[in-house]
Amino acid sequence: MEQLFYYLKVSWFSIKRAPLPYMLTVLILSLGLGVFFSNATFYYRMNSDPLPDKSDKLFFPMMMLVPYQCSDCKAPPVLSYSNVAKLAASDIPSARAAMYSADGYLRQHAAQPPTPVTVRITQRDFFSMFDVPLLHGTIWPDNQARDELLLSKATAEKILGRTDVVGQQLLLDDRLFTIIGVLDDWQMLPKLYDAYNRQYLNPAEDIYLPLESGYDYNYLSNNNSSTYDDADYRKLATDGRTKAIHQLQYWVQLDTPAQQQAYRQFMANLVTDEKAAGRHPSPEANQLVMLRDIVRYFGGESADIKAFAIVTLLFLLVSVFNASHLSLNRYLSNQYEFSLRRALGANRSQLQMQLLVDMGLMSTFTLAGAAVIAYGCTKLMNSLWPANRLFASWDVQLMLALAVLTLFCSYLVTLYPSLRASFGSLNKQLKE
Amino acid sequence: MITLTNLGKVFRTELIETHALRDVNLQVNEGEFAALTGPSGSGKSTLLNILGTLESFDSGDYQLDGKSVKGLSDAALSKLRNEKIGFIFQSFNLIKDFSIYDNIELPLRYRGLNATVRKQRIERALELVGLHARRDYLPGQLSGGQQQRVAIARAIAGEPRILLADEPTGNLDSLMARQVMELLEQINRQGCTILMVTHDPDQARRAGRNIQIIDGQLHDSTMYDPLAQHTA
Ligand SMILES: Nc1ncnc2c1ncn2[C@@H]1O[C@H](COP(=O)(O)OP(=O)(O)O)[C@@H](O)[C@H]1O
Ligand SMILES: [Mg+2]
Repeated sequence: MEQLFYYLKVSWFSIKRAPLPYMLTVLILSLGLGVFFSNATFYYRMNSDPLPDKSDKLFFPMMMLVPYQCSDCKAPPVLSYSNVAKLAASDIPSARAAMYSADGYLRQHAAQPPTPVTVRITQRDFFSMFDVPLLHGTIWPDNQARDELLLSKATAEKILGRTDVVGQQLLLDDRLFTIIGVLDDWQMLPKLYDAYNRQYLNPAEDIYLPLESGYDYNYLSNNNSSTYDDADYRKLATDGRTKAIHQLQYWVQLDTPAQQQAYRQFMANLVTDEKAAGRHPSPEANQLVMLRDIVRYFGGESADIKAFAIVTLLFLLVSVFNASHLSLNRYLSNQYEFSLRRALGANRSQLQMQLLVDMGLMSTFTLAGAAVIAYGCTKLMNSLWPANRLFASWDVQLMLALAVLTLFCSYLVTLYPSLRASFGSLNKQLKE
Repeated sequence: MITLTNLGKVFRTELIETHALRDVNLQVNEGEFAALTGPSGSGKSTLLNILGTLESFDSGDYQLDGKSVKGLSDAALSKLRNEKIGFIFQSFNLIKDFSIYDNIELPLRYRGLNATVRKQRIERALELVGLHARRDYLPGQLSGGQQQRVAIARAIAGEPRILLADEPTGNLDSLMARQVMELLEQINRQGCTILMVTHDPDQARRAGRNIQIIDGQLHDSTMYDPLAQHTA
């Protein structure tokens, strides 16, 4: 312990001898690490798998079940209500949910100003499929229309000031709904169940309504929808279930390869039957995409973010290279002292220890610098791209990763110079 | 205690080979005070560095206390340097921003002595060189002669059996040089073997033994005669 303090003292004196180059080394390294880390965090979060146990079991079926002729069209990402009903007839999936999203205004009573909310209109299996945690209450017992909603924890706190609010009533667009459940903190990142149009970057919705009620009350989709023939997307309550209004996303859970194979066959048969019934003229273009692959399938990966990540990695490499150069100079100018210590009886491992402590000290400074710079970069990115804010959050794991990376880079920066210093010839500088 | 047999040292650079030492045979006994003289570039420093295990050699053998230093590990050599050998350099080689006390402590640090023992030894060494009052000064605040005495204190604090001094008075004026010389003689009287490179014929004469090196070869090596010194 006492020896450790001695090593620290020796390092400190050597820093004091040439503080500017040392600060420059730390700064360069911090800069490289900080910029890289803030960007890597972002990239990592954006590409992380929010449901690692399930992302290969949840599937997004897409089918070319539209009333018009197209021989080389990709299947659209949304389905009509009647198509969903046909798909839902299969009991191969262990869970299934149709969904879309809408906007609404929520308040506790008519005297309160309304708060704009995002609404996910969906079916009961949604919560189990995407592992949505429940803090209070229950979910709907079936997929029937009912004036019951679930709230996110944050929304409950915002509108009602607390979370234990099951049984209370709220006005959603001035229709009375009963709260049957409050979700626990939940933020599926990225929000892969809504991947089309890069919606996966957005936060999870504030409230959840039964699909049938959404149709009954004419909640229009705020995302992708397409209509054919004389269908009018605004007449959801009256025409939504019968006409060619395509606006539903549909997810199924297929646990085994056998189920997946069977479901593909089921989809193929469905297309054949529909064709035979004259309901769609196009050739089959069925797709069954895994949750894990959905962003890639929709081409939603952002090339600029990837390019930026690569640029920051290169920047880090350049920083390490520069810092290593500076640190080599520092060690060379300390070579005299190394030789002297060797001559007076320090062995190589004692010198290595000294260098290790030196490296530890540098890592500490660099880590502090990198954290500050990464924080600044994250702030900057958040203000440049506020939509991506969710992906810039740090946690203990990421901070640990930064620490390990810093240690590794400091090691790289000091490794070669320290080898040079401790294996260099002993006597040259002392002879004169 | 020191035996060199047919020792040779060659420096090789891309252009030339320098035979810094050839066929050196030397025996130094415990308690001797030997002066090494010779023209510049004749290999004096090289010999001293080899004796101090700071430098390797190419042929022959070097036995210290009857054991060859050849093939010793770095750790063993460092231990040997640390415990048996003290170095004094012409340019003092003190660390400029370390206090006198910290400079003297340096070799003791690497021996793993505890703080109390270190303190005792440093104080004793400071006492001997007469600089106890300056223990918290920086080297730059002392005269050259005082700095060299600090270097001597550093060398003897570890209580080595051999002191290797490479022109210890080369950078000093004659008064200071005499003080340093007297200090070395005092240390020698306490039983420490000293090998000292010098250009000063007076100093060489005062040493019990004279070893001359010319072109890497030992000449005129007056053999040590313990009786002669004791009667002198
Ligand atoms: N590290 C070295 N590399 C190459 N040649 C060296 C080296 N050290 C010493 N020499 C050469 O060895 C010879 C003896 O040097 P040195 O022992 O320093 O002489 P002295 O101390 O007697 O002046 C000189 O010719 C010198 O140039
Ligand atoms: Mg010399």
